[in-house]
Amino acid sequence: MSLLDALPTPQVSWRQWRPNRVLLVLFSAMLAAIWLLDVVSVSPNRIVSGEEAGLIEAIGWVGALLVSGVMLTLLALSLQPSHQGYQVALVGVSLLLLLLPFGLMVASHRLISSDTPQARLNMGMAYWLMLSLLLLCWIELRLRLTLSRRRSTLMLLGVLLVWGVCAILGLDSLALGQELRARDDEFWRALRQHVTLVSASVAISIGLGLTLAMLMRRYAKCQKIAFGVLNFLQTIPSIALFGLMLGPLAWLAAQWPLLSQLGVSGIGWAPALLALVAYSLLPMVRNTYIALEQVSPETLEAARGMGMRNSQRFFQVRLPLALPVLLEGIRITTVQAIGLTAVAALIGAGGLGAFIFQGLGQAAMDMVLLGALPILMLALIADAGLGALADILRPNATAQSGDSQ
Amino acid sequence: MNPSVGRRSLGLHGANRAIWPAVWFALLMLCVWGFPHADGVLRSLEPDANQVVYQRASLASLLLQHLFVVSVAAVVTIVGGVLAAIAVTREGGRDFLPMVAQVASLGQTFPPVAVLALAVPALGFGTLPIIVALVLYGMLPIVRNTLGGLQDVDKDIKSAAIAMGMTPWQVLRQVELPLAAPVILAGIRTSVTINISTAAIGATVGARNLGDPIIAGIVNGNMAYIVQGALTIALLALTVDSLFERFQERLRSRLYTS
Repeated sequence: MSLLDALPTPQVSWRQWRPNRVLLVLFSAMLAAIWLLDVVSVSPNRIVSGEEAGLIEAIGWVGALLVSGVMLTLLALSLQPSHQGYQVALVGVSLLLLLLPFGLMVASHRLISSDTPQARLNMGMAYWLMLSLLLLCWIELRLRLTLSRRRSTLMLLGVLLVWGVCAILGLDSLALGQELRARDDEFWRALRQHVTLVSASVAISIGLGLTLAMLMRRYAKCQKIAFGVLNFLQTIPSIALFGLMLGPLAWLAAQWPLLSQLGVSGIGWAPALLALVAYSLLPMVRNTYIALEQVSPETLEAARGMGMRNSQRFFQVRLPLALPVLLEGIRITTVQAIGLTAVAALIGAGGLGAFIFQGLGQAAMDMVLLGALPILMLALIADAGLGALADILRPNATAQSGDSQ
Repeated sequence: MNPSVGRRSLGLHGANRAIWPAVWFALLMLCVWGFPHADGVLRSLEPDANQVVYQRASLASLLLQHLFVVSVAAVVTIVGGVLAAIAVTREGGRDFLPMVAQVASLGQTFPPVAVLALAVPALGFGTLPIIVALVLYGMLPIVRNTLGGLQDVDKDIKSAAIAMGMTPWQVLRQVELPLAAPVILAGIRTSVTINISTAAIGATVGARNLGDPIIAGIVNGNMAYIVQGALTIALLALTVDSLFERFQERLRSRLYTS
């Protein structure tokens, strides 16, 4: 045992080197994707599948070098990460996200001549991959930098704004845009129908859910039966439930002409609404019940001690305290209803799902995208919006609003 | 809050639950073998149609197709999802943990129909794109629940296991996975239930399964077709779900008695 052994040995071995492996993987995958896969494709019209084009064909040598340069810089940054490095990387990722529509503009300029107005520019595999990988990088950087929800939402909104402006100004030949222009009125009507169906079903299930949850609290016996039935309903596949609604409603409409005058029939909004409410009840009732139950008895006791009446205790103490969990139920229900309404298009309820199924029937993929992408956006917006609302309404919101996700 | 975890604690109780899988399965078999001979009953639903028994394919073969697609997807998702979750909770993959957790919870807001629809332009029509879409979507609840289950294992228990001289592999196999098993199983149940439902919608993109009669019925306005498809698929979902429920029950009683 010499004295030297007791001294700390200098630790500069390669084990100490800690690159951000997540970003390394993501950026390498991105580089590989844009160089190896097709970035865009050009098709002469709506149905014929397109001719694929690589990175250099699409945006030229200068563009390709610029994009690869930014990516290599980001790759180098993730080798030796630091707080500043992450901030620079966030700027770089945002820059790439902003450049995406400009790339398409350049590509449409280079690949589509003005004498073929029918030609469409489709986004290729590499384009979609790059978009999703960039979003993953963005999530990772957000977590590393612990950005607040508000700031990151603002940033994403900024990116979306630039995309919107680009889409309006210079992307005439983009397939999705052409598809939208061809059925402009139809699209907005479908969107309205979709949102109306979702809000109506959520509103009804909030009312029904509150009533059922109250009944359950009063009569403990019916709680088990009610949850059993709701569980059972939730298990039945949506397409089966929608189908089974057709028969009884058609019969009802045939029996009572008044109902059919109101627009109730086996096909259309009525069976869809019924099935949507049936599905929404389980998450709604469960969360409402848990929300009302979890309010601590001490708090209620204190309220009683202050001389509050029963109704006052419910509306001024129990309900406000239950609100965040209740909103969580509304969030789950809404997101689920947005997806299920798409299936409801099969029984003629309209909505954005109609584009998906029509597009699949005609093998017109742009039309499928025209239905699927807005549904995805709606679900994400509803999720983020209602989640933010629940954050704000949480009683101790000020204490934890700093780094909540 | 995870819907699949909360659901269990408030369900029906009692020993009579054990018979449900058998009941649903018996009804399912009755549907599959009974409908082709139930011309009279189906005729009363749709008196004017010239055909009421779905004949393009037998319900039994459609059921097998459906089961095949769902089970292939389930095997891939379970293996992939559990392995991915284990990988990111080990020392080597911990860098990826925050992002994977975030993506798994964010991805569940994607509607399954939209995922299916987006898979078609990329992969084409037929059975394969459906399996891929089901795998992609079904992975999320499993990853999420496995992560939750593994992270909820008490640190003291793990330390005790290491102190007893267990290797990391033994800690995982004999301590972490058994303790997380109920939560993982709940995730698998959610995933499979969603997949049975989503696979039926796959009938619109050219896969042959139990969604076929429903779609054909809606297109031709034939209620009898819809009833055959819808009842069979609902009973399939109920059979599988009640089996999982039974399995969870047994797992829990074994975990708490031993």
